[in-house]
Amino acid sequence: MTITDLTSMGESQTQVKKEINERLKKLQDEISEYCYQCAKCTSGCEAHKLLELEPHKIIALLKRGLIDEMVNSEVIWTCMSCFKCRERCPQRVAPVEVLFALKNMAVASGKQIPGNYTGWLQSVLSIGLLQDIKNVTTKDNKTITRSTLGLPEISKPTDPNKFQMMLSKLAVEKI
Amino acid sequence: MKYALYPGCVMPTEQYAYEISIREVLPKLGVELIDIEGFSCCGEPLKSVNQMLTLSLSARNIALAEKEGLDIFAPCPMCHLALSESKRILDSDPVMRERVNKFLVDENLVYKGTSNIVHTVDLLHDVIGLEKIKELVKTPLKELKIASHYGCHTIRPSEIGRPDDSENPEKMDRILEIIGAKPEFYSEKLDCCGGLLNANLPESALTKTGQKLKSVQEQGFDAFVDVCPWCHRQYDAKQTKAGETVAAKLDMPVFYLTQLIGLAFGISSEKLGLNLNQSPVEKISVRGK
Repeated sequence: MTITDLTSMGESQTQVKKEINERLKKLQDEISEYCYQCAKCTSGCEAHKLLELEPHKIIALLKRGLIDEMVNSEVIWTCMSCFKCRERCPQRVAPVEVLFALKNMAVASGKQIPGNYTGWLQSVLSIGLLQDIKNVTTKDNKTITRSTLGLPEISKPTDPNKFQMMLSKLAVEKI
Repeated sequence: MKYALYPGCVMPTEQYAYEISIREVLPKLGVELIDIEGFSCCGEPLKSVNQMLTLSLSARNIALAEKEGLDIFAPCPMCHLALSESKRILDSDPVMRERVNKFLVDENLVYKGTSNIVHTVDLLHDVIGLEKIKELVKTPLKELKIASHYGCHTIRPSEIGRPDDSENPEKMDRILEIIGAKPEFYSEKLDCCGGLLNANLPESALTKTGQKLKSVQEQGFDAFVDVCPWCHRQYDAKQTKAGETVAAKLDMPVFYLTQLIGLAFGISSEKLGLNLNQSPVEKISVRGK
């Protein structure tokens, strides 16, 4: 079980891609029609202020069917998932959800996953958690961890094999 | 009142101050926290990679608590959102539920939809209640001027059902008032910490953090309070670096809400993990202002 199984465009991912495509098609057909480009989403967008993400333009491009262009663009990875666009849209269009679908498509298409997402995924596959227990330093320079603080054993999957089996099914089954 | 404590990933692997203060304060308010073996990541940080993964991981975690017949307390807003959203989907879509349950079968788990999910804010404000909190206050916080930070996932998207209002959250502020502090409005209140950008744009994440904290500091707040291990990591542990990105020397004490409640209850700073905070909390906790 590797990251590739879960993310790349191996044979098994055909179905995943098909499903994400259907999701995007549905968003394109049903959602983008409601958008009248008021740009309220962009005015509140946390990533817009810093990284020039323009959610209303994402919807405009979706409406025109320029999905591949967006899947190949780095801008879809600047969303901070603050959900303000989804919250404030007067037409209940949710650009953040379109962005999730586009990023999922980029991953399923075998594009390079940016930054540490791969590390997070790898960690979840091996220990069930985003990261393992860390040592931290206190103000007075003592190194401590869960056990020194008297915290109980961390909760994580008890049978890693069975846990991985579930994740691998997720990768290969016709989901 | 009994809850399965769903710790998630960030709190139990590095944000120990949140966990230790929760385990200290909540039992005093009549909450029995039950530890369950076998939890995994909620999947929310991986939503950009594969949403089906998020849905399945959350369903799996809920199913573990359901097996014990317990409701879930998720102190991390990101976990709380993932679990709540999955519950919403699975409770309304029998086809999806059947599909997800197929993934869970190897671990002898099944999602049924019987457990409720709470976060720190609604557990304290709605379930326990302000009166109960007030009863335990021994050393009120002496009118500390506090900026409360709810965190995006605590309040949005409201369609999923969140612990507080999306545009005017105030439950944390009400709690802070009850323990003697003086929470005040500031116009950056709903701004994002940028924490999720740590995955791929960590410098930008720091800038988001720095911008908000700089503004809070300029407005003369005594302390900054949050309820999210992701946000807290940004504002507390990364405060100095965040300041550098916005050319500011930041020295803002940053607390978890549960730490401040503990202080007002007269619990020692050690038991609340205050020595774990990297921001200058001693400005407040030692002097009591």
